[in-house]
Order: sequence, then C-alpha cells, then structure tokens
Amino acid sequence: MEGLLEQVVDLALTMGADYAEARFQSDITETVILKNGVPDATTLSEARGLGVRVLFKGALGFASTNLLNRRAFKNAVKRALKGAKAASRAVSLGVRMGEADLGKGRVEVKPRISFDYVDMDARLELLSEADRRAVEAAKEAGADLPARIFTLDTLTTEKTIITSDGARVSSSIPRVALSAFMTAYHPQKGAVQRFFDRGEAAGWETVERWDIVRLAREEAYSLAKVLMEAEKPPKGVVDMILGPEVIGLVSHESSGHPGEADRVLGREAAQAGETYLKADSLGMRVGSQLVNVVDDPTIKGSFGFYLYDDEGVKARKRVLIKEGVINEFLQNRETASVFGVESNGASRANAYNREPIVRMANTFLEPGDYTFEELVEDVREGIYIKNFMEWNIDDRRFNQRYVGLEAYKIEDGELKGLVRNPVLEVTTVGLWSAVDAVGKDLEFQAAYCGKSDPMQGMPVWTGGPHTRLRGIRLGGGT
Amino acid sequence: MKRTDLPSRIVDLGLSRGATDASVKLIDLDRTMIRFSNNEVTVFKSYREALIAIFLMVGKHRAGSTINLSSVEKVESVVERLIKIAKTSPPADVYAPLPRGPFRYDPSLLKPSKVSFAPRRLVGYVEDAIGGVLEAGAKKAAGSLVATKTRTVLATSGGAQGTQEKTNLEISVRAFTSEISSGHFVSISQREEEFNPGEAGRIAGEIAVAALNPAPGEPGKYTALLGPLVFADFVNQVGMLSSAFLVDIGQSFLVGKIGSEVASEKFTLLDDPTLSGSYGVRAFDDEGVPTRRNKIVDGGVLETYLHNSTTAKKFKTETTGNAGLIVPRPWNLVVEPGDKTFEELLSEIDRGIYVTNDWYLRYQNYRTGDFSTIPRDGLFVIEDGRIEKSVRELRISDNMIRIFKNIRGLSESRFWIKWWEVGIPTLTPYAVVEDLNFTKSTM
Repeated sequence: MEGLLEQVVDLALTMGADYAEARFQSDITETVILKNGVPDATTLSEARGLGVRVLFKGALGFASTNLLNRRAFKNAVKRALKGAKAASRAVSLGVRMGEADLGKGRVEVKPRISFDYVDMDARLELLSEADRRAVEAAKEAGADLPARIFTLDTLTTEKTIITSDGARVSSSIPRVALSAFMTAYHPQKGAVQRFFDRGEAAGWETVERWDIVRLAREEAYSLAKVLMEAEKPPKGVVDMILGPEVIGLVSHESSGHPGEADRVLGREAAQAGETYLKADSLGMRVGSQLVNVVDDPTIKGSFGFYLYDDEGVKARKRVLIKEGVINEFLQNRETASVFGVESNGASRANAYNREPIVRMANTFLEPGDYTFEELVEDVREGIYIKNFMEWNIDDRRFNQRYVGLEAYKIEDGELKGLVRNPVLEVTTVGLWSAVDAVGKDLEFQAAYCGKSDPMQGMPVWTGGPHTRLRGIRLGGGT
Repeated sequence: MKRTDLPSRIVDLGLSRGATDASVKLIDLDRTMIRFSNNEVTVFKSYREALIAIFLMVGKHRAGSTINLSSVEKVESVVERLIKIAKTSPPADVYAPLPRGPFRYDPSLLKPSKVSFAPRRLVGYVEDAIGGVLEAGAKKAAGSLVATKTRTVLATSGGAQGTQEKTNLEISVRAFTSEISSGHFVSISQREEEFNPGEAGRIAGEIAVAALNPAPGEPGKYTALLGPLVFADFVNQVGMLSSAFLVDIGQSFLVGKIGSEVASEKFTLLDDPTLSGSYGVRAFDDEGVPTRRNKIVDGGVLETYLHNSTTAKKFKTETTGNAGLIVPRPWNLVVEPGDKTFEELLSEIDRGIYVTNDWYLRYQNYRTGDFSTIPRDGLFVIEDGRIEKSVRELRISDNMIRIFKNIRGLSESRFWIKWWEVGIPTLTPYAVVEDLNFTKSTM
C-alpha cells in the first residue's frame, strides 16, 4: 500500500498541489448486541479506503474513495485538486501546513488474546451472563430491570500515512468497547436510567480484566438503590466532591474542547461551535492553583492511544491548564501555522473518508495528594456525585450542567444517604476556580467524542481523580 | 455480470448456503461537502463510495455486514462467515421472515432530480450564502454545503427488487455579529430551483443582527416561541424515539403511550417519505417494503411506533415500512401546520422568550422525557407581543411530553430543516409553548 500512496502523493504534486497527504485506513468492526437478555443481530463492518488531502494556493481539498485500485486513487487525487482549485477563488488568508516533528516509523499494538480466538457466541454468552446477573442484582435492591441493552465492539484500525514533506508512518491498533444502557423500575418509584462504557486499545485480554459480569451486577445494584432510596438533595450552597467519571467529563468538555485551536480560529463555528478562549488567552487564569488538565495520546492501552497523528506528526502529552492557567492549545499543522507554533500532534480522522482535524485523545485532571476519606472529612455539608446521566455545555464551552445519578449527601465529614438528581450548573471558570482539593486516585472512562461535519465519533478517554469543589449553589438556577 | 445484478446474486448465494432470509443493498454514493468559516472556504471535500450491505437470517439467528464493493470471492467468504455466525449464535426471541412481495414502488419516488455537481457552481452557492449573511449586516459566516447523489439497489429473499436514485442539496449557515451574537438558518432541497443558500444566509444574518449586545437572561418559566430549527430538534426526538427498537429498550418517553395523549391536540406528526420532491423521499425500506405515510401523532394522540417486520412481530402488529433491519427509523417528518402567522403568534405573547435554535440535547431520563438543551444563536425576550431585547446564557430544562402537551399554537408557514443537530429532515412550523422552564448557571 505504501507504494500506491507514494504514487498518489507524487501525482498530486505533478498536478500542481503545493502539499499532498495520502492516508490509507482500514477499520474492521465486529459487534454483538444483547437486548433485554436476547441476542439481536451480530454485525461485521469493514471500512477501507483512501483519503487524500491537497493544498492549492492556500485552498484545501480532500477526496476519498473505497475502491482500492489505481484508477480510483488517481480519480481521488483529481477530485481533491479540482475542488481545491474551485475553492481557491473563495479563499483569502488560506491554509498552510506548519513545521512539525514529522515521523517515520510503525506503531503496532499487539493483542495478547486476538479477537479471532473469541467466537461471537462466546461474546454473546458473556453478555447474557452479565445481563442475568444485572437483573438479579436489581431485584436484590428491590427493583426490576425491564429494559437493558449491551453492545460489545471489537475494532481493528490500520493506517498508513505519507505526506509530500516527509512523514511516513503506519499503525495497527486493536480496540475493544463495551456500551450498556439499563432502566431500573418500580411501580411506586418510577424509573431511573444509566449509560456506562468501557474502552481500551488492546486485545480480548482487556475484556477479561474488565469482568463485565461483575461490572453489570454492580451497576444494576447501584442503579436500583438510587431508584429505591434517593431523596431530594438539599438546597443552597454546599461543597461538592465529583467522582472520576464526572471530573473526566468536565476535563473533556470545559478544558479539552475550549482548548482546541480550530475552535479558537472559528473553523468549527457553524457546528461544534467556538470557544470562550481567544488566541491571546494563553496565560489566563481559569481555575485554582490545583488544576492541571492534560491531554495525552501516548498512554498505552488508552482508548485514545496513538503515537503519530493523522498528519504524521509525533504525538506528545499536552498540558492544557497548568496550575489553573491556560497553558497550551491542541494544534494540528494548519492551526499551528496560524499561531506560529509547532503542531503538538492533535490531528485525527476517524475513518478513511474523513478529513483529519484537531481532536482530543485522553483528557484528564492530573491527580493531587488527597485520599477520598480526606476529601470527605473536611466537608460539613455537601454532595458527592459519583456518576451522571444528563449533561451539556454551550458551544463556547462556558456554561455547563451535570446532573448527578448516583450521588450521596455528606454531613459533618461523613458520607450519608443517596440523593436524587443533584444539579451542578456553573460556568467553566466558576467550576475550576472552586477546586480546593484533588485526590491522588486516577480513573478513566471511555467515550466517543463528537465533532466536525460530517460527524466524526472519536475514541477518547476522559478521567481524573476524586475532586472537591467549595461553595457550589445547587440546582438549576430557578 | 452487471453491477446492479449483484444484490440478487448475493441473496441467491445466501439462500443456497442455508439462510432462510436475505436482504442485500448496493449503495453508490457521490458527495461533495464544502465547509466555510470566517467568510471563506476552509475545505472542499469529495467522497465516492460503493458499499454492499448484506443481512442474513437463519430462522431466529441474524447477522449482517457492510463491506466495500468487492470481488465475488470476497463476497462469498463474507456470506459464509455470516451464515456460520448466525448458525452458532444463540437465537433471538422473534423470527419474522422478511416480507414477501411482489412489491410495487411509486416510480415518481425512484428518480433523482437534476443537480449540477460542478465544483465552481457549488462554491458559488457558498458565496451566495456568505453574501446573504453580509448583506443582512452580519460580519462573519460559517457553515457547510452538501451535495449528494446516491443510488441504492435492493434485493431481498421476499422478492423485493428496487433501484432508488436521489440527489440532495443542503446548506447550513451560521452568521455572527460578535462572538456572542449569532444567527443560524438552513436550506435543503431535492431540486436546484427550490434551493436558496442566499436566503438562508440572509435569515441567519438578520437573526445575528437582532441578537447584538445580549443581556444575561433571567431563569424562570416563560411562554416560548420556538423557531423552526429548535422545534425541528424537538420533533426529531418524537420521531426518532417512536422507533419500536428504542421503545423496547426503554430509551423513549413514548413507552406504553400508544392511544394516549402525548401532545396538545394542535400537534399532528407524520412520517411521510412519499412526499414527492422532498428531501427525505424514499420508495422502499431496507426490507423492500414500500414506504408509506404514517401518522405518528394525530391530534395529540400517539397512534403508532415505527416498525420493521421484526419489531412488528414482537409488538403484535405490522411493519410500517420503516426498516432499518435492526433499528426502525423515520424518513421524512412532517408537522401539520397551524393557522396563524408568525406575527400573530408573537403578538399573543405577553411575557415570553423567542428561541431560534438549540444544541446539545441530553436526557436525564428517556423514559420520563426529562432533558435539557442549550439555546444558541438569537435568543430574545418577548414583552407585550413584541421582541424586546436579546438575551443569553439560558438553558431549557424541562420534560419532552410536557412541552408537546403545552403547545398553544403553530404557524401556518413551515420550513424544511436538517442540519448537524437535526438528523431527520423535518417540515416544521413555528410553535408557541406555554410554561417552558429555563435555568442558568449559578456561578
């Protein structure tokens, strides 16, 4: 394939491109679905093809094809260039690919247990057992679990990327992802619902480590307890401890997204939106001294793992907020050239037929030095939000809302009973500034981050430690 | 062998290897997307794909695959693997054979309209949209133009055979007068003569100009005037969550509500893929069943869920022609119009909020319909029947069924909406909703 990609790049240059980049990407996905305890269809999908980008007089053209032959590849180059030429009349500032640490090499994540060794019926049997245990666990807590769906995906992504200015990288990365949704119900209490996910870049051994049966049991039991026992939360100003699942989402939504350089420049303005940060916001304080948020694609086994991005740039850890101050934006080569910096390797595309744009990988709040008990013991009146169901944030990434699902009251330094749907509705700066203690634990959650047009769901981790916020006004502001 | 014969050949192959049922689609896609921001084109994208989607059943055992257009040998190996997977998988609870034809499809729904895909012409549409934004007095335009040509060839073991060709044009334009003042509008069409990017840009620009200098909004319950973009998002929720698959897994506020009041009597919602010339037109579903006009909500009462033959058997009813082999889905949503002009709807609101758009709708509980979403672009306070001022930083935090029950009025004018946040093309009026709950950040 590398030879064909070389030809694609050469052809683009011959036809007048100022820059050319050819990417072959193959994504093989196998999915089993268990719905209310019975299997639904098992699906296999294969998306393989070429994505080519060219620059012509500052205009960017992209073309893709899934026909894997020379003629189709040549046609893709022509289409990309023809589009860029047509677009060049509506371009004034134009695009430039900035200098970067371009890679040459191969990255291969080798599964210890290959997906090929685990038949679909074995995968379904695992989910069936998890489903049975979940129903039993909810029953133990006094509720029914009338609606459940479990989805287990194994994914294998192969990429080869060649650019006209010297990048030559390839990778093979297996991923596995679990997604579950369940409803706990009681005739007098109503219904509560929960999504939960797991995902890593590894082989089947990871599924064994997750212990899906235990996980489903614990989740169902907790959900049923929430339904049966949770009471109204207190009103007014309280302290709050956010669990890793919640602080991970906060890190992603209100540090990662606003720190994407393409948003700063307005490139995503019509869809995913812009950001409250501006090009000169580096150095701006947005949180307490204890807040250090990073995005690191190089964590082995992580759902967002990669060592070269989709422009062939070497990946590295990015420190987005350092001691409460905006420190760095996520950059690809296009945005980096505008900012006068080097790309920090944040360019990703989720399929052969998607253009690479600025994306997060694994975004998290770095741990501090508190144990969970130390965080709790210093709270007179507060709420501990372990996980959530509803959340959203405005398209400038400044006003957000997280509604707790499994959440507990804290009184005089002790964890008390469950509370129902406590609402954290705050600004980004308000939230990060309220952080007064950060736990020493660190956990990650898998997610698919949505951005771009057409939409690109990108595998990421979000994470962090238990984190304490002081003086939060509960409720939705009414 | 002609390429269009491939689906029938694969159906025969599947049956000869032990499948009881088979549905095969060949999809040819040719799409151009032009994205723009800061008043200039940011990228020109061209997609060409040829895909085969194979779905096989061995009684209660089901398996499917989507692959690139491939050699016969490759297809054979995929079919064999699917048969093996299906045979060794535990059975589902329901076996519904694929519906048996012969089927007749409305020829007026099968043919595409003529649309030019010449890059210069498509860039011209983008320039028209940007021009509309700037002429309205806004400073900055961003958005996406999409031109799509598809051909779908379907064959099933039930004897369905059909070829559907479609062309579509769509543009989504967002206009800015400042970083916190913006407007948004769209134009979507199957026909070039009905496609109006300049007008979409102008409307977006006018909203952005009116939205200048927004004051912080006050939380509370208001009578809300919902513009076509935001109301289409809410209508999409009713349409999508009427899928019997989602009802079955509890991911819907319509569970157990057939025959019940789920909206005001003023609200009637159809899924109508038979509306010739409209964006979401479609002659047959993925089981080869001719599509039809389904009334989902009639005068506020939930009439039906959307079904394929499998969900229909489970729910003891008949398919509605909305397969999705796994998940049934709506194709082309249509809200019946009201009887008032926009100005009349506005003039009847003493104290309210006009919401032009929203994004990021998330549920606290699908079963109950509790959710929140964030108004974006122009958001205005209404006092004594007039738009009084621009506001910001509010969130709609309410319940989906309560919102639809609280519809007080709908406009007679309607607009086709589809964009990033509204996946199903929807013909929608303006709506007035009583007592809509708005919240805001506390610190």
